[in-house]
Amino acid sequence: MLDQILSVLLLGAVVSAIYALVAIGFTMIFGVGGVLNLAHGGLIMFGAYAYVVLTSSSVVGAIAVPPAAGFVIAVIATALASYALYAGLVRYIEDNVVITFLSTVMVALLLTNLIHYRFGANPQGTPSVLSGSLHLEGFGTRIGYMYILGFVLSWITIGLLWYYVTQTDEGRSILATSMSERGAQLTGVNLLSVKSRTWLIAGAFAGIAGVILGTVEPTTPQMWLNPLANAFIIVVIGGIGSIKGSVVAAYLIGYLQQFTTEFIGQGYVGIPSLIVLVAVLLLLPEGLYGREFAHE
Amino acid sequence: MANEDNNNRNLGRNGKSSLGRRTFLGAAGAGAVTTTLAGCLGGVGGDDDDGIFKIGHLAPTGMAMGVGSERSAEIAVDEVGKVRDQEIELISENTETDPGGTSEIVERMIVEDNVDLLVGTFSSEVTQRITGTIADEDVPFIITGSADQSTMANTTGDDYEHNKNIFRTGPINSELQAEAMADYAEFLSDEHGWNTFGHLSEEAAWTKSFQELLPDELRSRGFDVPYDDTVSLSTDNYTSILDDLESEGVDAVLRFFASGGQGKLLKPWITNRYPFAVEGTHVASMNPEFWGQTEGICQYETTAQSGGGGVTDITDKTMDFVETYQDEYGDDGAPTKPMYMGFNTYDAIHFYSEVAEEAGTINYNDDLDDIVEAMHSVEYTGAAAEISLYGEDSDYPNDAKETRTDGKISNYPVTQWQPNEDDEGGHQELVYPAANSSGDHIAPPWM
Repeated sequence: MLDQILSVLLLGAVVSAIYALVAIGFTMIFGVGGVLNLAHGGLIMFGAYAYVVLTSSSVVGAIAVPPAAGFVIAVIATALASYALYAGLVRYIEDNVVITFLSTVMVALLLTNLIHYRFGANPQGTPSVLSGSLHLEGFGTRIGYMYILGFVLSWITIGLLWYYVTQTDEGRSILATSMSERGAQLTGVNLLSVKSRTWLIAGAFAGIAGVILGTVEPTTPQMWLNPLANAFIIVVIGGIGSIKGSVVAAYLIGYLQQFTTEFIGQGYVGIPSLIVLVAVLLLLPEGLYGREFAHE
Repeated sequence: MANEDNNNRNLGRNGKSSLGRRTFLGAAGAGAVTTTLAGCLGGVGGDDDDGIFKIGHLAPTGMAMGVGSERSAEIAVDEVGKVRDQEIELISENTETDPGGTSEIVERMIVEDNVDLLVGTFSSEVTQRITGTIADEDVPFIITGSADQSTMANTTGDDYEHNKNIFRTGPINSELQAEAMADYAEFLSDEHGWNTFGHLSEEAAWTKSFQELLPDELRSRGFDVPYDDTVSLSTDNYTSILDDLESEGVDAVLRFFASGGQGKLLKPWITNRYPFAVEGTHVASMNPEFWGQTEGICQYETTAQSGGGGVTDITDKTMDFVETYQDEYGDDGAPTKPMYMGFNTYDAIHFYSEVAEEAGTINYNDDLDDIVEAMHSVEYTGAAAEISLYGEDSDYPNDAKETRTDGKISNYPVTQWQPNEDDEGGHQELVYPAANSSGDHIAPPWM
């Protein structure tokens, strides 16, 4: 029993860290632009496949780069793809919530089909930045170094983001815009610049999550569905638009799922999260850290 | 021969046709107009025989498995040339894994294309969806992909007379596969001294027999089975499952994955060096490009597959077929080998051409009993196996017979991904049964 509890604590922490990466990007875009960006899942997949293309000798052997370099380039590429999605499409339709929502769904499906056409449905493996694992006999589990790297990177990026949005003028302008767009404009914030930076940052988060997910699991065209569904639940529970809420909710859901897997069964893993989601929607509709400072 | 080409379909038989009144009226109207015009133009003759033997091929051609099957069907059509002096036309459709969509495709093939034979289907759920329509229409249907035993039990096993046009020439059904897997466990025990096995199946129709039969079959042979579970197709994280398998002390896990899994178990297994082997059936791993696609995470895993991956002769036709396949499609991209459904589809078309000669007819409307009788009497050496079918009164009517060597099922070969000697890349070896093996089974070196 003790080893099971320790296993839940450990695996829950590393899984939750990846969930947080996915959810933060998702919630930032909603917080700043009011856009429910379902293409965020597609960007996770984009990051994972960008890493495959860059590092795998079986895809384009001539351009295979070392895993660490591939990681960085894939994250940058995903950030730029996210920005391109905003600048090339969302920017022109974001005033219409429904059209924007549907468009991002279409983009996600288009990306999936393109990936499927190019790579097929079979899983793609990737060389890891860190190979090998720790055998924690006292915990009754083994944990790959990539999971540990994911955990560390998650907290570094969350820390950097926190510093950026609380300690720099540019970052504070993002926070201000998420609280009140009109208020931010009145204080001279350049909305286009804020939104562009937000999409870039969210894309980078999606890229990091995509590369980590793609190295701890096989990369497939459907790899983004579960992470996006989890992100959706996390963001609602944490409070749509709240970075702090997303981090807290990511750990809540991550641990809940790990607990369910360990003590109830893998087949029931999604059910407790949905129960919590319904409870939050009924009892605390704005989520744990809803947009308490927001006003229109 | 009148209606030799099966163009005059008995759509309304027993009033059970699932094609619908509108479809029937449309088809009947079109037929009437066509017949009238043909008469006016001096047409193709009063017997309505266009002189073409049409084969409807059903497979998920968006997947490597389906592509391999489609190409193999094309090769078989070229090699057979004619059936009962009729040119052959292959009509291939992508079924994906969509039961509803496939049902529409099948109705179109029967109503509009007047196919004389249907072959294929990969997903058991797809197969089960279309058997009703096909049984109503009497078109001979040879299953070459899905292995679920209940598909035949619910058709030929339940109402033979109504479903006697449904056959499977390979793979062997999932009940026999479960027995074959227990035979394979004995082989692993003899080779490595492994006596403790875990069982893990994805939740799907084709794995029911493994879930229901395999653990007890293993126990009856003296093995321990401390881990026995099924897993949802959507499971992403296998770490807890692997931890449980390790804590139960299994020597090998026999896992059965087709749609699910997709390497998600392999990645943490090989990264974390869990001290047990991964054996059983894994459809993704049958892809000859799987090593390259996954950067070798499949090393030392095994999968059972008809045709044994096309790596060595199982019959004297195996490698000839593989070489023809590679000559024809070597430059056309993956898959570079036919894969198991390709073997079975290739064999099914050859088998049916022999059946047609034996029966002396391809007119299933009038002579279905003759065709069925020939299906039961013909024995054919295919590229994947010796093919013969169980008869009406057997446990598995119209299903492929297993072949046995010393009492063990031998037509469910097992391949293993092994690293190349220069450590650059990997390859498949046929490791079981021993009579056909191209290499020894290797235990993961970290065990």
